[in-house]
Amino acid sequence: MMRFAACATYMALLYGFIFLPVGVLALFSFQDGRFPIPPFQGFSLRWHAEVLGDADLIAALLNSLMVAFASSAMAVTLGFLAARAVATGRLPRAKAISAALTAPLSVSYLVIGLGLLASFNLMGQSLSLATVAVGHIVINTPLCFAICAAAIGPAQQSAERAARDLGASELRVMWLVTAPMILPALLAAFLLSVTFSWDEFIIAFLLSRFDVTLPVEIWSLLRSGLNPKTNAVGSLVFMLSAIAVLGVELATMRRK
Amino acid sequence: MSKTLTIEGRDRRRALALAAPALLWTLVFFALPFGVMAVLSLWQRTDQGLEAAWTLANYAKFASSPAYLQAALNSLEITVVVTVLSVALAYPLAWIIAVELPAKYRRLALALAVVPFWTSYVVRSYAWSLVLAKRGVLNGWLGDLGLPLMDLANSRAATVIGFTHFFTMLLTLTIYASLVQLPPNLRRAAADLGAGPVQIFRFIVWPLALPGVMVGAFLTFALCIGDYVTPQILGGGNDLALPQLVMLQIGRRADLPMAAALSIVLMAAVTLAYIAMARWMKEPSK
Amino acid sequence: MKTTTRLLAVLAGTTLLTQAAAAQELNALVWCDHTDDALIKPFEDKFGVKVNLKEYEGTGAALSLIEQSQPGDWDVLVVDGIDVPRVVSAGILGPLPVGDLPYDSLFPEMVMEENHVIDGQTYAISEKFGYNTVSFNSAAVSAEDLSDMTALWSDNAPGSMAVYDYYVPVMGMVAMGLGIPTADITLDDLPAIEAALMKLKDNASSVGEVVSSQTAIATGEVDILFGGGEWVTAGLTGDLPDLDWLIPEQGAVRWSQSIGVFADSKQPDLAVEFVKHVLSPQGQAALATSSCYWAMPANRMAGAMMTDEQKAALRWDQQVDYLNKADLYPTPDADLDAAMQDVWTRFLAH
Repeated sequence: MMRFAACATYMALLYGFIFLPVGVLALFSFQDGRFPIPPFQGFSLRWHAEVLGDADLIAALLNSLMVAFASSAMAVTLGFLAARAVATGRLPRAKAISAALTAPLSVSYLVIGLGLLASFNLMGQSLSLATVAVGHIVINTPLCFAICAAAIGPAQQSAERAARDLGASELRVMWLVTAPMILPALLAAFLLSVTFSWDEFIIAFLLSRFDVTLPVEIWSLLRSGLNPKTNAVGSLVFMLSAIAVLGVELATMRRK
Repeated sequence: MSKTLTIEGRDRRRALALAAPALLWTLVFFALPFGVMAVLSLWQRTDQGLEAAWTLANYAKFASSPAYLQAALNSLEITVVVTVLSVALAYPLAWIIAVELPAKYRRLALALAVVPFWTSYVVRSYAWSLVLAKRGVLNGWLGDLGLPLMDLANSRAATVIGFTHFFTMLLTLTIYASLVQLPPNLRRAAADLGAGPVQIFRFIVWPLALPGVMVGAFLTFALCIGDYVTPQILGGGNDLALPQLVMLQIGRRADLPMAAALSIVLMAAVTLAYIAMARWMKEPSK
Repeated sequence: MKTTTRLLAVLAGTTLLTQAAAAQELNALVWCDHTDDALIKPFEDKFGVKVNLKEYEGTGAALSLIEQSQPGDWDVLVVDGIDVPRVVSAGILGPLPVGDLPYDSLFPEMVMEENHVIDGQTYAISEKFGYNTVSFNSAAVSAEDLSDMTALWSDNAPGSMAVYDYYVPVMGMVAMGLGIPTADITLDDLPAIEAALMKLKDNASSVGEVVSSQTAIATGEVDILFGGGEWVTAGLTGDLPDLDWLIPEQGAVRWSQSIGVFADSKQPDLAVEFVKHVLSPQGQAALATSSCYWAMPANRMAGAMMTDEQKAALRWDQQVDYLNKADLYPTPDADLDAAMQDVWTRFLAH
């Protein structure tokens, strides 16, 4: 009983800590006044309406979705192909290659962003959403590679061998045997990539110019005046993401 | 014989072709930019633009100016405190979810623990600034309860709280993952052999889950020391952190070479932490 | 091999994509007060173009962004008046057609020929000005307590304080407080300025940029904002009538923004039209009362487009007195600028 009480107390405290900022954020997004701090002056949907009527924010949201999906698709593709290469057991220097592919994981986003900024400068490449996507592929490919590599096991390999023995071409093997077998891993890698790209700030900040992603737009909103609009954006983004996650969760549960 | 050799050669070429796109991408957009940075860090910013000076002056400036060293020290201290605090907070929660909780609630509990992940990262720091402000929510509550108010906003404490919040969520996830992988019958067997709960934890769970915890801690370290947003929003211009110093070079002086040199210093710190972790994990006695 | 070619195709595609967006768009590098629809929309509608705005804070940041761009990327630049000679000598700005611009209706102090005219060519025109001085919450601190600037770096600061995070005006103010005119600051003065700054930091709870400064004083986090002015308080007085600002007896620093056209702009005519729009009475009134910060318009004719409350918040009628009391921003040369930035970095790390 003591133990149960201790566990319950700890959980309550920690969940309280975890939810505190989100709760405060959401509450004061309904503030009927100019400042998102106590006292709560009454309930208003004014700031939410302002967000939905802000063309720049909506454009940034669409930009973010575009960058997230495009860069994640590319990252999953690159990661999956490389993971399969390693899994064949025929890849020379497989260990070194794996290490090289996962190296970006331990490098700070700020450093990756700065390096790309300097390089694009030298190359004479203008900054745009495409350059942001390039940066996001760099940070997400290692992740996708690691997830796919962990998922490809002996079961896949023997199935692949069987398919090959039956005369299937390499592409068909990959598309019809390996990919479907590790579909959950591919999906997980893709969604994780989308999340990271969706929420990434510093690379997007350094590598974009006029068309910006949502975190960058929120950053400039934050710097253009204190008001509960920032709270409203945060709450709406939260709801959007939560619904997406819930949807995926339900979809995968039904599959089982 | 020669036929198998050619098959093997063909397989190797095929494998290489599969790995090539990812490798090429990593080479062009990760390794190469890194090289560009290393080269750039030896250049100098002058009135006319960037000059290929081939000098260690930027590093010398870092090593000789107390303000820069202080920024590096601030970053290191904040990161260490955050890493330790986050592990200390996340471990018990991950343990409760993985071991104490009935299996059917686990997924829900874990999902709840990471839900705030889904607010935007920038907004999360901002939300903490509202909570900790002098007339913010926290002080509102403390005032209602008749407790002394806390002056946490715009300080290192605020930065640490913001970071700890994020990394507690992250670490709960990673530590949970390594705890559920431990076969439960190991614990049962130890209990059958007369081990108490403390002993089971000390001699079985802790050492077996340690690698996972260490990887999570390293990830925390690497992400925390390189983050600009949290100290910028919550630190209030006090206790400058290394990434802020890097951004100052770009934002105020257009001094890409100095920013590059400071980034290399930042990377060196992360690499040292990585080596330390790798060494520590290799030591069998631990 | 197929995948490699596909990869290269994608790469080529991204390059094409990024270079396709050039049509009828005007690219302007501005301070955050130029982003309101009230200012931009009328121009976009009139000319049927899209104005792309990139905000920055501080001339260094602007130079950084320009260096990270390709020639022809930018059309219009808004920059601190005192930095115009610097950007002109870097070849960034091109000459303006003087006859088309409302020079006659500018406040005389805003013509600033010594900054804007170089070798007989005019490169920029003032659009907005104001003061870096002291903002305060009159419910918590009295104006008398702030009339002597040095009190703010004494052992008995009159109240809780934040400092605006921009080294040029704040170091200029401190210099004024120490009796050094901003135009006369030399390397030898820096130790004294630094000593005062460090005590200022001891007395201050935070150092922040435009919005965090506003936030600090608007939410009661602090009672005094060093480096603030009408640009912090004027836009907030509707909600917070207690917010006020003054110029201490030692004086303050006057800032001004200028606007010009890039030398390598691909559409200089449209860019000049934009400059004319910003300088028009309507444009000036919108700029003066922008959501990011308020300040005096450079064009006197804007007064007719503004309400009495707006003009009162900006102290329209007291400008003669204020202009007298304030020095221009310091104009450090490269060495002094680098040294000042080093002092500022130490100030932030302190």
